[in-house]
Amino acid sequence: MPPSQLKQLKASLRETGVLGPQQSKKQKRQNAKSGVGAQNRNQRNAALQAIRDRFNPFEIRPTATRSKFETTTRDDAKSTKATGRRPGVTKSLGEERRRTTLLQEMNSRNKVGGLVDRRFGENDPTMTPEERAAERFARESQKKMRKESMFNLEEDEEEFQLTHMGQSLTLDGTAVDDFDGGDLGGAESDNDEEAPRKRKRVGEDDEDDEDFIDFGEDGEAQPERKKSKAEVMKEVIAKSKFHKAERQQAKEDDDDLREELDKELPDLFAALRGIKAPAKPEPPKQDLDTMNPERAAMLREPEGKDSEKEYDQRLKQLTFDKRSKPTDRTKTEEEKVEEEAQRLKKLEEDRQRRMRGEQLSDEEEEQESDKDSFFQGEGDEESEVDDAAAFGLHTQSYEPRPELAVEDEDDFVIDDDLVETRSNVSLSVDESDMEEEEVSGEEDGEESDEEDELINGMTLPTAGSATTSTAVQVNQTADGKLAFTYPCPENHEEFLEIIENVSGQDLPTVIQRIRALHHPRLHPDNKAKLGRFAEILVEHVAYMANELAEPSFSIIENILRHVHSLAKTHPINVAMAFRARLREISEDRPLSLLPGDLVVLTGVSTVFPTSDHFHSVTTPAHLCLARFLGQCSLNGVSDFVTGAFASSLCLQYQSVAKRYMPEFINYTLNALCNLAPLDMPAKHLAFPLRKAQQSVKLAPTKKVMSRKLQFRDVKTVPSDAQAQEDLKFSLISLYVSLLDTASDLWADKSAFIEIFTPIHSVLTHIRQCFKNKLFAAGRDHVQATIDKIDSHLAQSRLARRPLLLHNHRPLAIKSAIPKFEENFNPDKHYDPDRERAENNRLKAEYKREKKGAMRELRKDASFIAREKLREKKERDAEYEKKYKRLIAEIQSEEGRAANEYEREKRERAGKR
Amino acid sequence: MPSITDSSSKKRKVTKSTGAPSSKRRAVAEEDVFSETLSKVQQLEEQIAESRKYYNNIATLLTMLNADNSAKKPELAVAVSLCRVFSRLMAAGNLSESSRDAENEKIVVTALTLSMRLMKETVSHFEGANSSVWSGLFRNIIEALVEARDGEEVRGEFLTKFVKEYEDIRFHTFAQIADYAATRRKADIMEILISLLSACDEAPGSDHQIDVESFFAVADPNNKRLRTVHGHKRRAQDAWLAILRNNLSQAQRKALLRIMVHTIEPWFTRPELLMDFLTDSYNEGGATSLLALSGLFYLIQEKNLDYPQFYAKLYSLLDADLLHSKHRSRFFRLLNTFLASTHLPATLVASFIKRLSRLALNAPPSAIVVIVPFMYNLFKSHPTCTFMMHREIRDKDFAADIEKEGYEDPFDPLEADPTRTNAIESSIWEIESLQSHYHPNVAAIAKIISEQFTKQAYNLEDFLDHTYQGMVQGELGTGEKPLRKTPVVEYQIPKRIFTDRLLQEDGGVDSGAGCFMRGFWDFS
Repeated sequence: MPPSQLKQLKASLRETGVLGPQQSKKQKRQNAKSGVGAQNRNQRNAALQAIRDRFNPFEIRPTATRSKFETTTRDDAKSTKATGRRPGVTKSLGEERRRTTLLQEMNSRNKVGGLVDRRFGENDPTMTPEERAAERFARESQKKMRKESMFNLEEDEEEFQLTHMGQSLTLDGTAVDDFDGGDLGGAESDNDEEAPRKRKRVGEDDEDDEDFIDFGEDGEAQPERKKSKAEVMKEVIAKSKFHKAERQQAKEDDDDLREELDKELPDLFAALRGIKAPAKPEPPKQDLDTMNPERAAMLREPEGKDSEKEYDQRLKQLTFDKRSKPTDRTKTEEEKVEEEAQRLKKLEEDRQRRMRGEQLSDEEEEQESDKDSFFQGEGDEESEVDDAAAFGLHTQSYEPRPELAVEDEDDFVIDDDLVETRSNVSLSVDESDMEEEEVSGEEDGEESDEEDELINGMTLPTAGSATTSTAVQVNQTADGKLAFTYPCPENHEEFLEIIENVSGQDLPTVIQRIRALHHPRLHPDNKAKLGRFAEILVEHVAYMANELAEPSFSIIENILRHVHSLAKTHPINVAMAFRARLREISEDRPLSLLPGDLVVLTGVSTVFPTSDHFHSVTTPAHLCLARFLGQCSLNGVSDFVTGAFASSLCLQYQSVAKRYMPEFINYTLNALCNLAPLDMPAKHLAFPLRKAQQSVKLAPTKKVMSRKLQFRDVKTVPSDAQAQEDLKFSLISLYVSLLDTASDLWADKSAFIEIFTPIHSVLTHIRQCFKNKLFAAGRDHVQATIDKIDSHLAQSRLARRPLLLHNHRPLAIKSAIPKFEENFNPDKHYDPDRERAENNRLKAEYKREKKGAMRELRKDASFIAREKLREKKERDAEYEKKYKRLIAEIQSEEGRAANEYEREKRERAGKR
Repeated sequence: MPSITDSSSKKRKVTKSTGAPSSKRRAVAEEDVFSETLSKVQQLEEQIAESRKYYNNIATLLTMLNADNSAKKPELAVAVSLCRVFSRLMAAGNLSESSRDAENEKIVVTALTLSMRLMKETVSHFEGANSSVWSGLFRNIIEALVEARDGEEVRGEFLTKFVKEYEDIRFHTFAQIADYAATRRKADIMEILISLLSACDEAPGSDHQIDVESFFAVADPNNKRLRTVHGHKRRAQDAWLAILRNNLSQAQRKALLRIMVHTIEPWFTRPELLMDFLTDSYNEGGATSLLALSGLFYLIQEKNLDYPQFYAKLYSLLDADLLHSKHRSRFFRLLNTFLASTHLPATLVASFIKRLSRLALNAPPSAIVVIVPFMYNLFKSHPTCTFMMHREIRDKDFAADIEKEGYEDPFDPLEADPTRTNAIESSIWEIESLQSHYHPNVAAIAKIISEQFTKQAYNLEDFLDHTYQGMVQGELGTGEKPLRKTPVVEYQIPKRIFTDRLLQEDGGVDSGAGCFMRGFWDFS
């Protein structure tokens, strides 16, 4: 039989140490002091609570649902969770909370004002009054120590202080001790006796403690007051400052000594060399050592200032000076040649890589990121993915095409718009803006050929050589009129003004001089100026070819080479200039190129690598050429001459990369068909045949001679009939040789047979036509070309293999692995739709919160009702009490009166 | 002209019948006033008939007609007399001639309005005159309209004010045009007729109700056709057929084919009737065939037209000019539909692929960018054809043979039947060559056939409408924009570009950059 409840209770109380052996008084006191008491109290409370719970099983309510069988999927943590709730505890907690909040509010309803006790620890029952006081004091002093504001200047005066009885409680030592005052007198004698002892203890305990809190009890009485922390710190700081100054002094002295020694070094060197330097006058020696160091420093100052300044200057110079590096060994001739070869090889390799469309390694990442952003931008703009856009074909909203660009072969529109519109808008010429050149440099006449930089090594004339070389130059140019200085032009009009009086032959010299005068090394602005100048030169090339009746190609060539050399330093400017020309072509006259355009396109082929897979200048240039060849009008012989030039340019462009140009083939065959003396038999033609507007057939009436075509044929068609026939004949032979070259270029194309079979048939037709004796001159040429193409065709037939394009690894079959959830928990929601899951979570939370809030409100209401009822009851009880008291009073009074009456009556009766 | 006699005889009738009611009315009241106006009207009318100088009287009559709306009686008389006047004028051809100068233009328009109103009055007031009016007066009007020189404005007026407003007018217009176009006419007349017809309103749907109330003139109760949509459509169909059967120029034929599906087809109750026209056009070849395709396709799809050798014909349409034609996109859209079926024989599809790739060798870049994705789609839906891209020879002997003599292309380009070209035994070397096309984007597109076919299909519509202009603009942009990358410059400055400069240094042999140009051309 278990022991009785009382016994059990006692046993458990003893176990937890609530009941135990009596503590001694000293122990108690110590505990109280070190705060163990408070801790113990807390512990004891907890223990008591536990015991109460144990002895009152009704306090704990088991969980509503019965526990289930152990399963693998069930969360372990959940099953081990506390099984019961404590409705009583929670209820009482809630009650308590309401009492502190709701009840307060209820009581202070309809009331204004009130006092809030914010004193520290006022409501903390675990603190003893002493602790409270100590803590408050600590806080106060902390607040003082901590300088809240850096800029608070009046902290001492204005600071809020703790006071007691109107006296401040500070540690300054000036504070008057409470007990000093005579007001207490001898009444407190026992207190007086206690005080020394107390102080002594305090002094013993906290000997080294910096944070010791002095209550200032009779501080005056002590012979040597303990220094405050601030004072100690001050002392320490002063000491360290003093030491530092001393150290510095010593260092300075050392430096002085060293300097003196250094000064004597040259003498030492002289002594070593065996030559005696003239004795230097001894500087007035001061007895510095004996002097106060500070004073000595003061005396030394003036001379020191200068040296310091100089030193600073030197230091600055040194920091900005380049570090000397070991220079390269002077190379031998062979090494130089080899290096050059290496460089060229590398450049060629780069070019090959660009041709294949690979990216150069250093540009790769940049490109990549570019691409990314490019595609992202694309994606953002339109949600619908354009398949074509992936290949760089963008469906822009083109402005309505001008009518001259017609693609149809049925109705071909002749573009008569041959009037060139010079598109460059003249900028306002500001003569004053043109800077006055200060240098009148001159360079030796002809530029060195092998130089990349056309003006290399002649840009910075030395003053001495200037005059002599000038004289030479004057002699060389053979006319003294040529100025030596030219302003750098801002636009083409200005350039034309500059060269107005310059003869064509001198133009290269002028350009050379402008470049030399504005070399970037001479002035930082010159780089931009030369960039602009390069653009002007590009414009001028087109201008020369267009406007001049007989443009001198040696000059154009020279200018183009200048442009090329400028392009090395100003690639953007030159590229933009060329692009502007191309844009002008494509907008104004895509189907009728001017001589200037042809020259510009030729310039593109020399300045930029036409073999690149993609190039910002050559790709549009290709397109311009191809468009012209594909759609240009075929009006007369002159059109065919222009076309021949454009076709030759195509081959020139493809001379390295050997890319295929369908337009070239089409155009050449068309031209041959149109120029041939007889019509092609209207057979199955693989290419679309376009008939010239007026017949340009070679008339089989006269004997014709072939000649090399000249560029001026583009501009002028000979009026003489014989010359015209000659021209046609020359054109045919040119086209034939173009095809000849093309067959070499494209010999290893896999579709060579398909491309060149129609060409073969056309050439055969031409050969047929040339059977006529009149055309004997061209027969051999055509025959040679046919033979060549034949041999290429035979080669190609032999080399033909079925295509094997898809040697890829076979694609893996797409597999869909079911998505297993590891550690699946049925209580968790695995909603793959994040938004929905989030929604559900929020809904559940809302529901929970709502329920909780309603419950709380209900409880609040019941609490208020209870409180009101209690108040009412109290009031009623009070009333009852009062009522009863009054009744009793009245009754007693009445009783007394009745007694008195009785007495009176009796008395009267007695009297009677 | 017979029509003139018709109208004049009718005129006489009209005058007679007007005489009777007026004599009755005269007895009632206001005899004097009325007879006065009547006589005045008659006088004016006679004057007009007499000489041109009294044409101003027309204006007077018009004001009389407009002025007293309240008095019903004289109006009728005025109207009748005006009717006579205009009929006479029209018969004399004055209406059409007078349109020569701008001042008369207004008169012509007024004349049109008046004669229409007149017609309305006649129809409403004379029983039985209905059919005769339509075939007489209205016929004259239509003829005058069609034959009027510079009559754009009148015709426009007629179309907007009458044909599009009133369904009966439209009905009768169709009927008259059908009549009119039954005989061979000149080309410019045909042009006018086509423009008139094509400008007519949209064809009414089958659930459309012909509203008799909204008719211009009182409807003939006997004419049932006038009340049904079918009847209207029938008339339109007749009119169109008459035009299609007439002699058409090539351009007109193309124009008709272009509007065939959207404008002409809906009017036809029996579209089969278009069959002859379409097949004729289709067989013609060239651009006409291309245009006839869509109409034909409509018939095949909707009316179950059996067109033997359709694919053979389609195959023959793929000629050298196709890719340079401006109907290229249109054709490719249709071709995409025709070849969409996966039930087509692979040999046929292969022929199309091979033919297209041949054509691509001479095509502009804008066509190549269509062909290659199109081919890709075909390969994707006809995997048998992929041998054209990848063919491994398993037969040892044959492989050795090929190694020795090369592979002979089995494709026969001259074979007209697409199922017999042997194209499936061939390879598309052409596209492989185009992978080195000068334009980087085209080359990139051509490369898709040698990469793995991971994409389901390319959306052809994205590739269709590219042009040189667009491509150049895509490269150059419209304005000055900073380049994204510094352009690479040729590292070596050539010694010579045009001239033989310093040739002796290289031993007199011109090689290096630009030697082609110098070889072909003489720059001096």
